[in-house]
Amino acid sequence: MRRQLRSRRAPAFPYGYRYRLDDQGEENQNYLADEEEEAAEEAPVMMAPDLEEEEEKEEEEEEKSQGQPIGNAWRQKLQIMVKYLWDPERRMSLAQTGLILFIYFFFYASLAAVITLCMYMLFVTISPCMLTFTERATTPGVMIRPFAHSLNFNFNVSEPDTWQHYVISLNGFLQGYNDSLQEEMNVDCPPGQYFIQDGNEDEDKKACQFKRSFLKNCSGLEDPTFGYSTGQPCILLKMNRIAGFLPELGDPVKVSCKVQRGDENDIRAINYYPESASFDLRYYPYYGKLTHVNYTSPLVAMHFTDVVKNQAVPVQCQLKGKGIINDVINDRFVGRVIFTLNIET
Amino acid sequence: MEHGGKRGKVSPHDRHAGPRPERQPNLRNTEKMEVKGKKKKKDIDELKKEVVMDDHKLTLEELSTKYSVSLTQGHSPEKAKEILIRDGHNTLTPPKTTPEWIKFCKQLFTGFSLLLWIGSILCFVAYSIQVYFHEKTAKDNLYLGIVLAVVVGITGCFSYYQEAKSSKIMESFKNMVPQQALVIRGGKKMQIDVQDVVVGDLVEVKAGDRIPADLRLISAQGCKVDNSSLTGESEPQSRSPDFTHENPLETKNICFFSTNCVEGTARGVVIATGDYTVMGRIASLASGLKTGKTPIGVEIEHFIHLITGVAVFLGVTFFVLSLVLGYGWLEAVIFLIGIIVANVPEGLLATVTVCLTLTAKRMARKNCLVKNLEAVETLGSTSTICSDKTGTLTQNRMTVAHLWFDGTVHNADTSEEYTVQSQRRQEKRETTGDASESALLKFVEQSFSSVKEMREKNPKVAEIPFNSTNKYQLSIHCSEDSSQGHMLLMKGAPERILEFCSTFLLHGQEFPMDDEMKNAFQDAYSELGGLGERVLGFCFLKLPSSFPAGFPFNTDEINFPMSNLCFVGLISMIDPPRAAVPSAVSKCRSAGIKVIMVTGDHPITAKAIAKGVGIISEGTETAEDISARLGIPVSQVNPRSAKAIVVHGLELKDMNSEQLKEILQNHTEIVFARTSPQQKLIIVEGCQKLGAIVAVTGDGVNDSPALKKADIGIAMGITGSDVSKQAADMILLDDNFASIVTGVEEGRLIFDNLKKSIAYTLTSNIPEITPFLLFIILGIPLPLGTITILCIDLGTDMIPAISLAYETPESDIMQRHPRNPKTDNLVNHRLIGMAYGQIGMIQAVAGFFTYFVVMAENGFKPLDLLGIRLNWDNHFLNNLEDSYGQQWTYEQRKVVEFTCQTAFFVSIVVVQWADLLICKTRRNSFFTQGMKNKILIFGLLEETLLAIFLSYTPGMDIALRMYPLR
Repeated sequence: MRRQLRSRRAPAFPYGYRYRLDDQGEENQNYLADEEEEAAEEAPVMMAPDLEEEEEKEEEEEEKSQGQPIGNAWRQKLQIMVKYLWDPERRMSLAQTGLILFIYFFFYASLAAVITLCMYMLFVTISPCMLTFTERATTPGVMIRPFAHSLNFNFNVSEPDTWQHYVISLNGFLQGYNDSLQEEMNVDCPPGQYFIQDGNEDEDKKACQFKRSFLKNCSGLEDPTFGYSTGQPCILLKMNRIAGFLPELGDPVKVSCKVQRGDENDIRAINYYPESASFDLRYYPYYGKLTHVNYTSPLVAMHFTDVVKNQAVPVQCQLKGKGIINDVINDRFVGRVIFTLNIET
Repeated sequence: MEHGGKRGKVSPHDRHAGPRPERQPNLRNTEKMEVKGKKKKKDIDELKKEVVMDDHKLTLEELSTKYSVSLTQGHSPEKAKEILIRDGHNTLTPPKTTPEWIKFCKQLFTGFSLLLWIGSILCFVAYSIQVYFHEKTAKDNLYLGIVLAVVVGITGCFSYYQEAKSSKIMESFKNMVPQQALVIRGGKKMQIDVQDVVVGDLVEVKAGDRIPADLRLISAQGCKVDNSSLTGESEPQSRSPDFTHENPLETKNICFFSTNCVEGTARGVVIATGDYTVMGRIASLASGLKTGKTPIGVEIEHFIHLITGVAVFLGVTFFVLSLVLGYGWLEAVIFLIGIIVANVPEGLLATVTVCLTLTAKRMARKNCLVKNLEAVETLGSTSTICSDKTGTLTQNRMTVAHLWFDGTVHNADTSEEYTVQSQRRQEKRETTGDASESALLKFVEQSFSSVKEMREKNPKVAEIPFNSTNKYQLSIHCSEDSSQGHMLLMKGAPERILEFCSTFLLHGQEFPMDDEMKNAFQDAYSELGGLGERVLGFCFLKLPSSFPAGFPFNTDEINFPMSNLCFVGLISMIDPPRAAVPSAVSKCRSAGIKVIMVTGDHPITAKAIAKGVGIISEGTETAEDISARLGIPVSQVNPRSAKAIVVHGLELKDMNSEQLKEILQNHTEIVFARTSPQQKLIIVEGCQKLGAIVAVTGDGVNDSPALKKADIGIAMGITGSDVSKQAADMILLDDNFASIVTGVEEGRLIFDNLKKSIAYTLTSNIPEITPFLLFIILGIPLPLGTITILCIDLGTDMIPAISLAYETPESDIMQRHPRNPKTDNLVNHRLIGMAYGQIGMIQAVAGFFTYFVVMAENGFKPLDLLGIRLNWDNHFLNNLEDSYGQQWTYEQRKVVEFTCQTAFFVSIVVVQWADLLICKTRRNSFFTQGMKNKILIFGLLEETLLAIFLSYTPGMDIALRMYPLR
């Protein structure tokens, strides 16, 4: 029956795939007809559902247009429906396709369930406050401010446009260090010793003040241009926060800058603020952002007061202190930072 | 064939060696007008036609004028030289050998390699785009491109080396000993190299010689030639100067180039040399045929289409997605290329090549030498075997099969061990001569006593040799006890022998010949003849004492009695089937392979052998059998009821392709007899048109076109001719048909195992692609980098995938039907669905989980990773904050990223353990199959150790950016 229908209709629907399907039918019937069940099923799996649907639709349309007797049409419809559900020739049916889709759906659903469960387990096992492994970041990296996507400070003293954005950046950055804000939020803890806060891990921790005024000439309070207008730029150096990092007791991490390559005297003089050029011990340890909410990273400002002008001066600022690594070859930001100053007048 | 080109020089050679003369001018004109490519095609079609010549019809005088040569003096040496210069040497043009570098390039740039090349080129394109538009770029794409190119290069070299090795073995077959020919030139006999023989030369051949060119005989003395390599006839054919048949192949006055003279002497005129000989035409037909792709080649192409489809689909989808997500055009293009390249399974080419090589080696150990790696699998998908009879199914050794005496038929031992043994003995004795006579000799030696002694005791005093008019051979010997006088012995065609007899021997006593005896004789004769055996009758006569010792017997004017002889019995001989063939045929049967016999031999012999080896199985009948059984004419038998059929070459000649198709479709057991090489070709093509994958076995030159045309041509290593070996894809080193069964088994096994290997290798594609996809979509740090992907594909996955080639069959693969090349693909949707949709997904999920765990433990919780990509990959951002408020420099977080990639890599290795066990079986459960595959266990260990090595070896962080895990 099916074959008849198909051959009758074939010229009207000259779609490539239909012919291919027909060929397969032929193939199955004739030579080598007796291959494995599996093989016969395989090919049609992918294209069966939409094809079958389409076929049925077309069949219906055809019937309407031909206006066959109702009973006959019904019977035909029934046959097609049966075939739609179970096609003995191709041993393939809608039910089966549906089943496959269902199995896939079920499969992915359970996969999703499993991964969700695993993720949940992950969140249960890791502490929200403290890191599980810390060995990937043992020594702090260093960043400088102002930061403008580049470590080259090129500006012309007489053209404010070339340095204005540094000033804005610094001002913005230092907003969090405003004395009033610090006094309000943080405590003034004794210098020269760790600010260790015992208690539960998830208890909120207090933070030490780091006031903008500590930076003196580089605080932007007296000179709102941070020295850029005079060709004496201030550059702030910040150590990356590392949870649990403790510098050596009595030996705070110091900052020291020098010319990286070239004449040592190109810089001539640097003023550090705070004058100790170090990060006070009271700012350590860091307890993580969940509990140590108002933690303020300490800063060291470098004031390049007498840099050689009209020439690129590569400057390397290193952290010095016990346990500080500053000579990793392939990471130029661990324990040190390199930038160039090119101040034109 | 350059008829068109040679047109200017009209030479007798040119005129007559070519196709039918009356058609020639026409043909030449059309040829001339055709473009070169078409011309070649035309030539092939022309070659497919039957041989046409008329030299055998000419009288000697006509022959003499035609070749302007004296039939007694031959050419003058000068003229011979002239002709030699004009026509060239009398050698077959060797098939155009492809230069080695082209072969090498073929290995490098076909099929799967092409896919990798495209991938490699895409990598370079992506890299150059990156370099052009960004200053600082990761070199991943560059590395990937280089690695891909290197992989293809190495694999190409490897398979080239493999094939070069097997072709070297081929070379060793070539018999380079130059042959000599005895020609008469200027009235003098001279020995010259065969290659210097020219048209019109007078040539003398004697027993043991190879015929130097196509000859028209002008005289012959008891000459017999062995045409088996040309026609497949197992019996030597007698040759005489008489024109006996219209068909040049059947007539007795033509000897063919490269056949052997086994007996007698003859003199003839050379009528064709080199490529223009019948043999040369067949050889050039074979070399001119183009062969199609191997089934595995087709499968790999199909696979490439699927993979490319998936790759392009994914690539384009994510190209669009990344554009929608707001990436730039450039980045989107890089992603597109990246995804497409990521889909290329880098290691698969090598895996497939190694698997095929392993099987080829295994087959070589079982005496199947495979010339072309891809042909390894072909035998496995073979659905029809067209086998030659002589030398393939049979031993090509005449052997006594039956004796009829004392009124009963006795069987002789025809098994192979027996005949080989006797052959050895015979070799020791160095007998030469007619195959049937040596068969008799062997038989007597084996079952009675030493012929030598007998001959010493009974010296021969007179002999009338066999000739085709007498059809008997007679000899007179002195009797053992000399008092008895002489004994006359005669053997020959049974009906002729019976005519001489008036008595017969029964249990040692003579009885007068009666009708009963004659009927019994007739029955026995027809019975043995019906078995396809050559029957000889034997009789003797004790000469009366009137012929005392020393009597001068005269065989020209017969002076002794030659009637009232005593009939002894019949001996029938046949070229017996090889011992292993019947079981091999039945194994092929049960494996769903149709075995068709295609032979040049006579239908009766062919049918008998077919029955003997089971090609026509017991109980099936041909239409003729049915008609004989029912007593109705053949025309009334319903052709559908006869499952077996024996088709004569003459019938085949008149058939069109439809009729042939009908025969091939409707009969399960088919024997084609008296077929010409061209018809063999047509039969093979007919089978192929029905969608069958055809294997052809054969040893003769006559088989070589069919061997070439077949999907897999199988030549015989010992008895096979050079031409057939050249045309074949596979060579049975031991000439044993049973080796084909091994080949089928190995071929099917490798197909199954390749499926497993590919499923295994493809699976890890998903956990390799998804990281990149999620990197694009979710903006997470790249979970799996190029280097780690390469470590998986070319490192850890390699040996396990190859180890699957050692997997034992899951069920009796020889009970299965051959796969349907149209539907049963190597890689089908189901395989892809399972590998990509199911196992691959599980693997990817496992990998991502590992990734997120490592990230979270190092401070980056999953939710914070989403969309972090731009900051993460920013070189200048050296204080990226993690979920705990820690700040990371670029390098620090890259170390975390690479640690994650290592973790992802290791997790893939772990899930691939399971995948290996999953892919190990397709139908059986894991427990049924067991863990007997030691290579597989080794593969598991190797994979694990390699992963450990890559992760924990100091220095790997710099070399491959892989970090130890804790």
